[in-house]
Amino acid sequence: MSAGPPPTLLLVDDESRILSALCRTLRREGYRILAATGPAEALRLLEAEPVDAILSDHKMPGMSGLELLEAAARRRPAAARMLITGWPDAIPGARLTALGIRALIPKPWDDAELKQALREALQR
Amino acid sequence: MAVALEPGPVRIVVAEPPPGCEGGRLATVDALRRLGGGVRIEVVHDARACIELAGAADLVVVDRDLGSEGRAILTALRGAGPPAVVVTPEATADAALDTFRAGAADCVTASADYGEVLPAVALEQIRAFRAASARRAVRERIESLERLHAAIIDRFPAALAVLDAEGRIVTVNPEFARAFLGAAPPGAGAAGRALEEVLPADLLASADLVELAARARAGGGHPPRIARTQHGGVARAFDARAERLDPQGRTLLVLADVSEREQLKQLQRQVLQTEKMASIGQLAAGVAHEINNPMGFIHANLAQMEEYLGDVQRVYRAARELGERAAADAAPGVRAAAERLSQLATELDADSVLRDFAQAIRESQEGSERIRHIVQDLRAFSHRDDGQVVPADLNRCLDATAHIVWTMMKHSVVLRKEYAPLPPLPCHPMQLEQVFMNLIVNAYQAIEQRVRRDGGTGEIVLRTALARDGVVVSVSDDGVGIPAEHAERIFDPFFTTKDVGVGTGLGLATSFDIVRRHGGTLRARNRPEGGTTFEVFLPLAGPARRGGCEGTAGSRA
Repeated sequence: MSAGPPPTLLLVDDESRILSALCRTLRREGYRILAATGPAEALRLLEAEPVDAILSDHKMPGMSGLELLEAAARRRPAAARMLITGWPDAIPGARLTALGIRALIPKPWDDAELKQALREALQR
Repeated sequence: MAVALEPGPVRIVVAEPPPGCEGGRLATVDALRRLGGGVRIEVVHDARACIELAGAADLVVVDRDLGSEGRAILTALRGAGPPAVVVTPEATADAALDTFRAGAADCVTASADYGEVLPAVALEQIRAFRAASARRAVRERIESLERLHAAIIDRFPAALAVLDAEGRIVTVNPEFARAFLGAAPPGAGAAGRALEEVLPADLLASADLVELAARARAGGGHPPRIARTQHGGVARAFDARAERLDPQGRTLLVLADVSEREQLKQLQRQVLQTEKMASIGQLAAGVAHEINNPMGFIHANLAQMEEYLGDVQRVYRAARELGERAAADAAPGVRAAAERLSQLATELDADSVLRDFAQAIRESQEGSERIRHIVQDLRAFSHRDDGQVVPADLNRCLDATAHIVWTMMKHSVVLRKEYAPLPPLPCHPMQLEQVFMNLIVNAYQAIEQRVRRDGGTGEIVLRTALARDGVVVSVSDDGVGIPAEHAERIFDPFFTTKDVGVGTGLGLATSFDIVRRHGGTLRARNRPEGGTTFEVFLPLAGPARRGGCEGTAGSRA
């Protein structure tokens, strides 16, 4: 990451402890981190802020992570979209490809793998 | 002169000419009356009436003067019915002979002492008749009982064998012959032989029937045992009991065929197991998901805490270093602060606290790693339909699996392979390799347990065989075996006998389910010589749900 402003990362999870753990993990990665505890808040932030990548939980009340990322693709097509879930088996691979989702990260995640996946997603 | 004849009243029929005719009629009846009040005398005047009453009588007295009627009576009673005594007027030998030929039991002359002789003769005849009747009744009763006995034993729907005091066969029933003696005629050849010579070896061994019989012979009781045999290619189960029949030590061995009941029980167990699997599969998937969320932040936070602690330790070390230098040469105020720092560090035992902190994090990470492993197993358990069905060589699958785990066990285990050439079997090879892995690792752990107890080494035998409509893969070990109280539960999810952290209790449950999804069966049995054999049967038709063989040889093998 050269000069210029740091990339902005939007984290979405209805479990706030996941959000704070993710923030801790990524604290030293040099991102500007936004955190949303639900899809509605995430969509508001997407409208208001320049977001380069979204990492969203899948199973959330009101709207699934896949639906959120689909909506995000319409608002900010350039932003990299990633899903993090405790039940990766339940996500049909075909939909991931169709929605252009760059990474499916399982919970619990491996810190190094998560960081690597984010770096790769933002480079593309 | 009372008659002592029991039981029942004595009945005598007197046949004589009707009143008015010549003859000593009154004399005959009078003479018989001397036998006492217990004697009932009926007087008739023709053959028909006499024969009619004779059936219930003990004696018939025929007056010779009755002529042809008298002769008809003798003819009718000859060989059946009560004895007939003939009273003749003349005492010639010819006349007596004549009456004997006609069928009379005795002949009395109406002479002067006739009143004495007739009752004596009558009494003797009645006694003899009654004794003979009694003997005949006893004989008939015995014969009837014997017939009943034989009919019961012949038709008894279980195999029966009577053994003598030495345990040799005295006799067997037709069911026994049919079940165990094959085409031999009923019972032929079994008499005089020992059970070992007649019954299939696996049947004898499965319930230790020789011991069972010996125990009964010695008068000991026992609960019935289930004996099993594969003799003749058909699996059969028998309920085996033995009872001592008499003080001489003759014993009855009863083998009742309960194959159907046992098959039903087996089927029930499988259905139950399958249902249990399905519901636990659903539960597992849900639980795995729920656990993964908190596990997500616990896992990440622990990693972060470790990193933070490293940072804190670096700051702490720098502070202590600063403190030591300040204590040596700084201004008094700074020196005092440095001493406080040193004092505080000593008081709180800060060095070991920080070390223990790191240790606590590492141990928690280990725990979270273990939970992650369990959840992974659970997910594997609930989600196993991935991948295509492809034809695979099970000998190669088995080899590949054995190769992976071999390094861990080669010091204490000898591996023997008895492979039969197998046709390619449509299956999910990765899943079956997981099954083989579970079975081999279990075999190894059973051996380890025994070796820890008794020392020595163990042997694992991997065997494959082609059955009529499928492939049988078996993994045998000479380890500790499965205790009877665990036999019912070994395929239950979360059932484990291993140490905490060694097994999740999902290995066999997962294996059972994988094999079931392949349309096969997984069974365990203890070997008579010690240890256990797990047997996987896989149908050549492949997993049924996807319509059998889906891929072809070229597609993905």
